Amino acid sequence: MALPLTYNFRNVLVRWRATLATILGIGLVVAVFVLVQALAVGLEKSASNTGDPRNIMIVRKGSTAESTSMVSLAQLQIIRYWEQIARNEAGVPLVSADVITLISQPRIDGRGEANVSVRGLTPVGMALRPQVKLISGRWFTPGKREVAVSQKMARRFAGFHVGDSFRTAGNTLTVVGEFDGSNSAFDSEVWMDADETRSLFDRQNYSSLLVRAASPQAGQEIVSRIEADKRLPLLAGPEVKYYGDQTATAMPIKILGNFLATAMSIGAVFAAMNTMYASVGSRTREIGTLRVLGFRRRTILAGFIIEGALLAAIGGVVGCLLALPLHGVSTGTMSFNSFSETVFEFRITPWLAAKGMIFAVVVGIIGSLLPAIRASRLPVITALKSV
Amino acid sequence: MTVSTFILKNALRNKRRALLSISSVAVSLFLLVTLQVALRELTLPPQSAGAELRVAVRNKISLTNPLPVRQRGVIEKIPGVEAVTPFTWFGGKYKGEEGMSFAQFAMDAEKLHSVFGEAKMNGDGYEKFNATKDACVLGKITADKYHLKVGDQITLDSTVYPGSLSFHIAGIYAGTPDDRNMLFRQDYLDESIGVPGYVGMWWLKVKSADDMAPVIKAINAAFQNTSAEVRAESERNFQLGFISMLGNIKTLIASISTVVVFTLVLVTASTMSMAVRERFRELAILKALGFRRRELFAFILAESFGLAVVGALLGIGGAYCLYTFGNIGKMTAGIFVSFEVTPRIMGVAALVAALLGIISAVAPSLSVARMSVVNGLKTLD
Amino acid sequence: MAEPIVKIRELTKLYSQGEIQVTALDRITLDIAAGEFLALMGPSGSGKSTLLHIIAGVDRPTSGQCLVQGVDVTKLNESQLADWRNQNVGFIFQTFNLIPVLTAAENVELPLLLTRLSRTQRRKQVETALEVVGLADRAKHLPRQLSGGQEQRVAIARALVTDPALIVADEPTGNLDSHSAQEVLSALQALRKDAGKTIIMVTHDPKAAAFGTRQIHLEKGELSQ
Repeated sequence: MALPLTYNFRNVLVRWRATLATILGIGLVVAVFVLVQALAVGLEKSASNTGDPRNIMIVRKGSTAESTSMVSLAQLQIIRYWEQIARNEAGVPLVSADVITLISQPRIDGRGEANVSVRGLTPVGMALRPQVKLISGRWFTPGKREVAVSQKMARRFAGFHVGDSFRTAGNTLTVVGEFDGSNSAFDSEVWMDADETRSLFDRQNYSSLLVRAASPQAGQEIVSRIEADKRLPLLAGPEVKYYGDQTATAMPIKILGNFLATAMSIGAVFAAMNTMYASVGSRTREIGTLRVLGFRRRTILAGFIIEGALLAAIGGVVGCLLALPLHGVSTGTMSFNSFSETVFEFRITPWLAAKGMIFAVVVGIIGSLLPAIRASRLPVITALKSV
Repeated sequence: MTVSTFILKNALRNKRRALLSISSVAVSLFLLVTLQVALRELTLPPQSAGAELRVAVRNKISLTNPLPVRQRGVIEKIPGVEAVTPFTWFGGKYKGEEGMSFAQFAMDAEKLHSVFGEAKMNGDGYEKFNATKDACVLGKITADKYHLKVGDQITLDSTVYPGSLSFHIAGIYAGTPDDRNMLFRQDYLDESIGVPGYVGMWWLKVKSADDMAPVIKAINAAFQNTSAEVRAESERNFQLGFISMLGNIKTLIASISTVVVFTLVLVTASTMSMAVRERFRELAILKALGFRRRELFAFILAESFGLAVVGALLGIGGAYCLYTFGNIGKMTAGIFVSFEVTPRIMGVAALVAALLGIISAVAPSLSVARMSVVNGLKTLD
Repeated sequence: MAEPIVKIRELTKLYSQGEIQVTALDRITLDIAAGEFLALMGPSGSGKSTLLHIIAGVDRPTSGQCLVQGVDVTKLNESQLADWRNQNVGFIFQTFNLIPVLTAAENVELPLLLTRLSRTQRRKQVETALEVVGLADRAKHLPRQLSGGQEQRVAIARALVTDPALIVADEPTGNLDSHSAQEVLSALQALRKDAGKTIIMVTHDPKAAAFGTRQIHLEKGELSQ
């Protein structure tokens, strides 16, 4: 038979100052844990938000990023009119030949520069990426040295707001629109016309092709046709998979998160242990009384562990609440894949919050285990005599 | 019995609690040192010998845009320039590995010594590198990792150029801040799968530190309004450019450090309060015996300070030993190579510990000050 | 006379205090009849508390027998003992030992949590027990909101709520002023008279002992009367 929960709960509240410190301590540990993991989740989310299951991405064999990929005009001509590729109402094949180039731009806070991805694309390419929506200004006009910038990048780099202009490759480009990429990888890009990009940056080739398959069956055919064609040293695959593989940047963040979680949880376990030992110490007589009343050792043991877990669970809630305001806040770092600035959001998913809670409770249980064993081992007589 | 033995006995009265307090201080300070070192490594990369004489020249658009070979003649003629070499990123993957585990650059074989002279190589590494077209030199860390030795052949799949290239190892170098890179010959790249006429960037050495600024200025000016404008900068500034690209990671680590310190203060302060509350009665007896408040404060302070200092010694010392004698490359999957615990960082951590000891003594001291002898004696009943 | 509720035979308890062996109880033989209110008296260190603890199943003798309602408590293991205490003994302490975070009613209810009684049954029994000690109106109070005498009466309610045959009290008036002591002793006396409980009380106060139906003196581990 267990002790009533209210007993544990009220005991947690009795030593409120020490308890508060422990709760806050565990809360901060959980908050750090959740936030660092939220970064990794955000990065992965941005990759998984990007692909459309109907699209096939084609890049040069062996390249790991669009910016180092290369697709020649001749290769484009071979592929363009394949019957497996869907067409729009006007009968134009849904093929987007994109040019990706990196430009070094000053940050808005004036602290140095970073590489920004510029994607040159056509209206077909924009139609293939419906998650990108214009939110202010207008789209660029080809030939006018105009670009549209993701709103998230506009907040991070100088000269990226509508009406601003910036210099690159000996030309001045004007920002005419800002778009929102719905938390996809396109949130980290600047868009302009494909052919204009090629001439501006002196590129003969395209970087990648994105095509809409006429059917899932046709999609597989495109992949195997490119594989089989000796003239095409290219690699085709579902767009979803291409972006899914681009999450290597999340690795160091995960390593950091795990390191922090381990180190901080050890500290938190010590803190919880201290609190629980003090709790057991000052309740020796109470424990003796419970034993005299007929409560068994394991009930006492369970009681103290529940108390520790409860304490930590409150800490876990506090930690999640502390982390929550950062949910949806965007941040950025260099992607190891594209070698350019990648923006993404802190994403605190319910599962992540649950993981934080589990983490907290585990800390609480480990921290209270030894004190609880000590409590349950107290001989009844000594417990009664202790003043 | 002296006052100090009394303090010592008091602190160790509850050995378990003393141990736990010391451990939590130690763990937190270990974490603090680790984060500070990581932050320092990210913001101030290790400086190599000869860096003060080196200049990096990249395409102004970005590092990834190539530069035309014709620029070389122009740069070589600029007064103060001692040697120039191309430096082209190859982006090769070793033996079907998922990602790139070390960097490779194509350059001029005969310029290796003049531009990157700090690389120490045994035997006839420099001569062989000059003599053989498919030769390469490899950093010691990478060579050790893959058990490669001079004379071995390695093949890399390029992620930048179409296809792969095979190299013979001419020498293994050490003595640079990051002995991981592989260097091979630009002419070999051009003749096989590269793009002749273009290089990744230029690295050059100036004759003296005084030549640095004028050379940089001259190079930037020389290609202004050409189709390939450049950005020339010192090696230091070039590296700092990389750090700027890391973006918010710095802020992240700095904020985590703050949270760690705060948590540390919180937990230690609460432990100290517990320790004092546990012997309120004793302190009351001391008061009754004629000890003044000042002396009671001193007892509390000495104890909390002592716990913090011992914890600091363990945490900071542990971090120092681990990062000085451990293999940091292996521990961080190659993200960090050197992980130097500087005296400054240790000093900051020690200061945090000292403040911690003082702050933790405040709350208990206040409650002792408020305590009346009679109440204190009654407390535990 | 009917079969005694407590039958003690040759009960011995030795303590070792460092090098020295202390004989707390020396071959005690004693019968206690059902319905008695026995006052165990003696100076400090006479072994009276040790005897009480053994009868109540919180301490173990070195040798000898102690049968309570025919069960030899010295033969039970830890868990059996815990269950046995819960069902057969009500314990009253000198320092009350109420759980500070629980209300009076919750404190009284505590031993019932180990039984199979339903919530409503438990509440009923708690009410009855508190009524018996005259504290029905203090059910919702926390221990620190009660006077010493009231606290001890809550402890009595807790001791009798499981309806044990035997109630043991260790210096129940030791921490009380004479007025509160009077209250507590009368409550105990009423328990014997009205509910027919057997009560064993350790005390060194002759005035308190006078409330008992029989007084026994212990001296240096032996019965002196």
